[in-house]
Amino acid sequence: MNRIASRRSLMLGVALASVSFLSVAAASAGELTVWCWDPNFNIAAMTDATARYTASHPDTTFAVNNVTQDEINQKLQTQLLAGVSDGLPDIVLIQDDNIQRFLQSFPGAFVPLSDSVDMTKFAAYKVAAATYEGKSYSLPFDSGVTGLFYRSDYLEAAGYKPADVQDITWDRLIEIGKDVLAKTGHQLIDMDYNDDGQIIMMMQSTGQWYLKPGNEPNIIDNAALKESLEVFQKMAQGGLIKPVSDWTGYTGGFTSGEVAMVPQGVWITGTIKSATDQSGKWRVAPLPKLNDVEGATHYSNNGGSSWYVLSSSKNQEEAVDFLKTIWAEDVDFYQGILVNQGAVGSLLAAREGAAYKASDPFFNDEPVWQNFSDWLAQVPAVDYGTFTPEARLAVRAQLPNIANGGSIDDALKAIDAQLRQQMQ
Amino acid sequence: MATTRLHRNEQINGWAFVMPALVLLGIFMIYPILWSLWMSFQVGRGNNFSFGGLANIQRLANDALLVHALSNTIIFFIIQVPIMIVLALLFAVALNDATLRFRGVFRTLLFLPCVTSLIAYSSLFKSMFSNDGIINQTLVSLHLIGAPIPWLTDPFWAKMVIITAITWRWTGYNMIFYLAALQNIDKSIYEAARIDGVPAWARFWNLTVPMLKPVILFTTILSTIGTLQLFDEVNNITQGGPGNGTMTLSLYIYNLTFRMMPSFGYSALVSWVIVAIVAVLSIVQFVIARDRRRAS
Repeated sequence: MNRIASRRSLMLGVALASVSFLSVAAASAGELTVWCWDPNFNIAAMTDATARYTASHPDTTFAVNNVTQDEINQKLQTQLLAGVSDGLPDIVLIQDDNIQRFLQSFPGAFVPLSDSVDMTKFAAYKVAAATYEGKSYSLPFDSGVTGLFYRSDYLEAAGYKPADVQDITWDRLIEIGKDVLAKTGHQLIDMDYNDDGQIIMMMQSTGQWYLKPGNEPNIIDNAALKESLEVFQKMAQGGLIKPVSDWTGYTGGFTSGEVAMVPQGVWITGTIKSATDQSGKWRVAPLPKLNDVEGATHYSNNGGSSWYVLSSSKNQEEAVDFLKTIWAEDVDFYQGILVNQGAVGSLLAAREGAAYKASDPFFNDEPVWQNFSDWLAQVPAVDYGTFTPEARLAVRAQLPNIANGGSIDDALKAIDAQLRQQMQ
Repeated sequence: MATTRLHRNEQINGWAFVMPALVLLGIFMIYPILWSLWMSFQVGRGNNFSFGGLANIQRLANDALLVHALSNTIIFFIIQVPIMIVLALLFAVALNDATLRFRGVFRTLLFLPCVTSLIAYSSLFKSMFSNDGIINQTLVSLHLIGAPIPWLTDPFWAKMVIITAITWRWTGYNMIFYLAALQNIDKSIYEAARIDGVPAWARFWNLTVPMLKPVILFTTILSTIGTLQLFDEVNNITQGGPGNGTMTLSLYIYNLTFRMMPSFGYSALVSWVIVAIVAVLSIVQFVIARDRRRAS
């Protein structure tokens, strides 16, 4: 609402200016509007980027707005469908597994950035997520490369050393988790059963996804998915999962010191570090791997998003130039957002910077950033396809049932049926 | 001749006066309704849609999730509407008693939930019923339960939370209708009943309820329609979860349009399903009420 109001007053200002014979062009010279959602993460990073750009381009001003992911999806979808671009931003942040449906549903709504930016400079799997009919539309931003964040003090209290959780399997982690629960009273992880991130991380570590390329459901014969659900069931039945009902509850589970571990994308670092009193108590190990699945690795991905320029933008060239100058070239900038926001970008050159070599006292002086960027290079690429939101909803629908000990084969059948129905 | 011209002038004037309203109604109500009917035959993704004939109806027939959402919705109104109507009726009768002190205060307190925003109260319920929320803490510290109840992470309990929430929000609203209707009942009827020695319970059951029947019918239809359109609470408290346990038709339409690959044609068709159900249920309730009136 604020934005619309400011657009109106801007228009009024323009009208007045033209009455008083001032140059209209000068009055409207580029304010770029950006939509993104996390004040501690992407908003802070974007604000930093805009400050760097305005330093060399004083004519360009920015308005970085806090709009939630749900709102972004809904507003874009409604307005693109209605063909109304009033109030849409110039640059918008969209989650990777959600972009294909926009590209396919609304052809021409986004500017193909591969026309002006060299996409080989970015991690290949990030570029692939936003490629449609041979053109890439995204300026890839953060990676969701995963790690196993854990409380080394709880582990120590139960008689385990950091080496005991390096390069292990999920089954071994469950054994350790039961031991830790018995000896310290801390559950292993917390999880929102309305979010399938945990399943995604386990499954993608083998290079499998809910869908096969060509947008066929990959559920019934997906061994990785099956074992991921089995691991989840074992953890839930063993009382190792503290169920929570939303994101605040989820983050509260570990910032309060309640659960012992957080298997999650690197972007959670900022939240973990926000509990400053726990400094030195956390460490990061590679994600455990699945036991009997072919291609199982310790590397996976959860989340991650990228920047897009809308074709309706009146300042399209400026917007593209901004993304190109800062987000595709400024290695220094990436060091800053790494240290301040824990944002592991997708620009490959950024990893040679000094900040990536540094160790972090919060994590027992481990070189966590170097580790994450090493793991990033080994994340198996998957094709998210078009129907990932549908698949995720279908999987989430079965999670409570599986947690209560329901049959996994039945669950897979139900997921497959619901997904096929929704893919029409 | 003169009268016909005058008559025609009146006709033209009359139409001229209602025309602006009719045109606006046509553009903003009738046209969208007809358009959505047309939309419900379209298939395709987002803006790329084309006429699909009966394809959407075929999809509807095989949609297990739709059936699930429909059965959740029916559970909600079969359990929730009677509870709420009875509560509202009891509150209304109790608060109508002229001898009760602080009636105004109690009325205000019971009506207060209705003025809170749907989003605000949903957020409150969500935090109250969360695993470590105030409800679980209270129950555990009173030793009524051993372990916290998984209010929002178990499909059954999540349904209970939603029912509790909408009952809390709407009971006062229905109570106001009954209070208004009770003011219109002649007090001499009750006096006569009392003189005849009719006990209080029978006075309520045989006098108050029959006389309130039109209002009870009205509130029942209103609540049924409201429950069929249930969206805000489930979207904010549970997002339809856990395990689609609180998925309702309206939330399903929202998901089809905004959370998944947009298929507007199919969501329009599902909206028409709600219209059809509301129409059928309303007719049924009218018929039942009319038959009873005829029988008595």
